[in-house]
Amino acid sequence: MTLVTVLLVAAALIGIGVWGALAQQTFVMIMMGIELMVNGAILAGAGVWAYAAGGVPEGQVLVIVAMAVMAVEMAIGFALVVAVYRTRQADMTEGISTLKG
Amino acid sequence: MDAVTVGTGPAVVLIASVLAIGAYLVAVVDRVLFALVAGRPVLWSVVTGPAREAAAVARRQPVTTEAPDRILWVMAPAAYAGLAAMALSVVPLGPGLAVADVRTGIVVFGAAEALAIVAIFLHGWAPNSALPLVAGYRFVGVALSYELLSMFVLIAAALPAESLSIGAIVASQEPVWNVVRQPLGLPLFLIVTAGVTFTGPLAIVDSPDLAGGGAAEDSGVVRLAWVGARAAMLVAFSAAAAAVFLGGWLGPVLPPIVWMALKTAAVAVTVLASRHLLARVSPERFVHIAWTVLLPLAFADLAIAGVVSL
Amino acid sequence: MTSAAFAVFSAAAIWTGWRVFRTDSMVRASFLLLASFLNVGALCVLLLAEYLGTALLFMMTVEMVVMALFMVMFMMNPAGLNPMNMVHQPRFAIGAGVVATLGLGGVAVAGAFPDAPAAPIPATIRALGSELLGDSMLVFETAGVTLVATMVCAVMLSSARGRYGDDDGGSVAPPLEPDGDHRPEDDLVDDGGGHGHMHHGGH
Repeated sequence: MTLVTVLLVAAALIGIGVWGALAQQTFVMIMMGIELMVNGAILAGAGVWAYAAGGVPEGQVLVIVAMAVMAVEMAIGFALVVAVYRTRQADMTEGISTLKG
Repeated sequence: MDAVTVGTGPAVVLIASVLAIGAYLVAVVDRVLFALVAGRPVLWSVVTGPAREAAAVARRQPVTTEAPDRILWVMAPAAYAGLAAMALSVVPLGPGLAVADVRTGIVVFGAAEALAIVAIFLHGWAPNSALPLVAGYRFVGVALSYELLSMFVLIAAALPAESLSIGAIVASQEPVWNVVRQPLGLPLFLIVTAGVTFTGPLAIVDSPDLAGGGAAEDSGVVRLAWVGARAAMLVAFSAAAAAVFLGGWLGPVLPPIVWMALKTAAVAVTVLASRHLLARVSPERFVHIAWTVLLPLAFADLAIAGVVSL
Repeated sequence: MTSAAFAVFSAAAIWTGWRVFRTDSMVRASFLLLASFLNVGALCVLLLAEYLGTALLFMMTVEMVVMALFMVMFMMNPAGLNPMNMVHQPRFAIGAGVVATLGLGGVAVAGAFPDAPAAPIPATIRALGSELLGDSMLVFETAGVTLVATMVCAVMLSSARGRYGDDDGGSVAPPLEPDGDHRPEDDLVDDGGGHGHMHHGGH
C-alpha cells in the first residue's frame, strides 16, 4: 500500500464512474456514475492526506467537503428527477430531448 | 482505551457467546413475559421451549419461491447477525473488557445500525414475493425517520465524555448517569432499539398484518437464523443502551461485569415487555410522529447536552 | 497484513463499482455501489483516516437506501427479471473512461508527490474536529448553508403544488419516438379519466 497504488485504485474508480455516467441513459444511473467518481476522489484525497500531506487536518476536510458534495448532488438530483418525471414522465435523458416545458 | 484490549481469538469467542447466550435468554424472557401478561402460569418449559422450537423449525423442509435472489436471502440473516456483532464489539462489557473500544465507537455503532436497514430491506426483497417486499419498503420508510434520533442522542451522550469512544462515555458517567443527566436520551434510544429489532410498537416488518412480512417466505434454517439474528441485535442494542445511558459497568458492591449484565437485561426486558403490552403503531402515523415530535425532542436533548457541557 | 487487506478492499471496490453498471437489477446496482463505498471506507480506515472511513460507512449506507427506493420508484425492471440494455454512446463512454483512468493513473505514477506520511497519532480525529469547528468554523458554516439551500431547492423542485397551482398542470408526455409528434391522448394531466401510465410500455 503506497500512495501510487492508492491513487491508481482511485483513478480506476473515477474511470468507471466516467464510463457509467456517459454510457447510461437513465438519470438515476447517471447519478450513480457521478457518485462513483466522487468515491474515487474521496479515496485519492484520503491517500494524499495520509502519504503526502503529513496528515494535516485540511486533507480530511477535503474529504468531508466531497461528502457534502455528494449529499447535495443526491438531493438536488432526485428532486430534479421527481420534477422531470412529474411533468414529462421521462426517466431517461432521451426522454427530454428538448427543454420545452 | 485506544487499543484493542482483547485478542482476536478470544474476541470472536466473547462476542459470539454473549450474542448466542443473550439471544437464547431473550427467547426465554419473551415466553415468561407472554405468560405473565396472559395470566398463565410460568412453567419450567419456558427454559427448554426455545430450543425445542428451534430444532423443529430447523428440521422442517425448506420451501422456496419462484426466482428468488438466493444469495441475498441467505446472506441477509448472516449480515444482520454480523452487524449485531459489529455493534457489540465497540461496547465495553467491563472496564477494559471491550473487543474494539475504538476512538470512533459510536460512529461504528451508527454504521452498524444504518447497515442493518440494508440487511432488513434486502431480506424482504430477496424472496421475490409481494408481502415481504411490502414489509421491506415499509421498514425503510420508518427507518429513515428514526435513524436521526439515534445519531442525535448518541452524540449528546458523547458530549460530556468529550470522546466518541463508548468506553470513555461510560467513564464519564462516574458522577451521574446519562439517564439522569440527559433524560430524553434513553427513551428515544429505546424507540430506536424497538425499530431496529422491529419489536413492540414498531413491529412493522415481520408483522401479522402482512402475514409474517419480511419473514413470510422464510423456512428452515434461514428462518431460524433470522429470528436468532433479531434476538442478537436486541442484545447488542440493550448492551449499548446500558453502556451509554445507564452507566455501563459502574455500580457499587457487585463486580462491574455483573452490573453491565443486569443493566443490559433490564433494557432488554423493557423492550420485550413492550412487545406484549403495547399495540403496534401504524407506520404512517409513526413516521409523522418521528419527524414532528421525536426529532425535535432529540434535537432538544442534543442542545441541552451541549449547553450543559459548556 | 495491511497490504493484503489493501489488495482485497481495493479489488472489491473496483469490481463492485464496475458491476453497478453491468447488472440488470436496479436494487442490486444501488447496493453494489454501496459495497464500493464500504470498501473505500475500509481503505480510508487503513489509511488511518479512521473517522472519515466510519463516517463514510453510515452516510453512504443511508444514501444508498434512499437511492434504492428511488430506483424502484422511477425505473423499470427493479428486480432485474428482464434482461435489458440501457446504454447509449457505449464506445465513446468506454473511451472516455479509459482515457480518464489512464490520465489520472499517469499522474499518479509520474507525479512527484512529497513524501510526508501522516503520523499514526491518536490526535487526527481531534485535529479534524478543531479544523471543522475551530475558531471560524468556516467549513462547517459553508457546508451548513449549502445544505440548507439544498433542502430549500429540493423541496421547491419536488413539491407537487406551487404558487401557480399543481406543478404538473399542462404538462405533456414525451413522444414515443424521438422527434415524434406529441400525442395529446397520452397526456398525464387530463381533465377526465384515462390517466395514461403508458410510459414503460413504449420501450
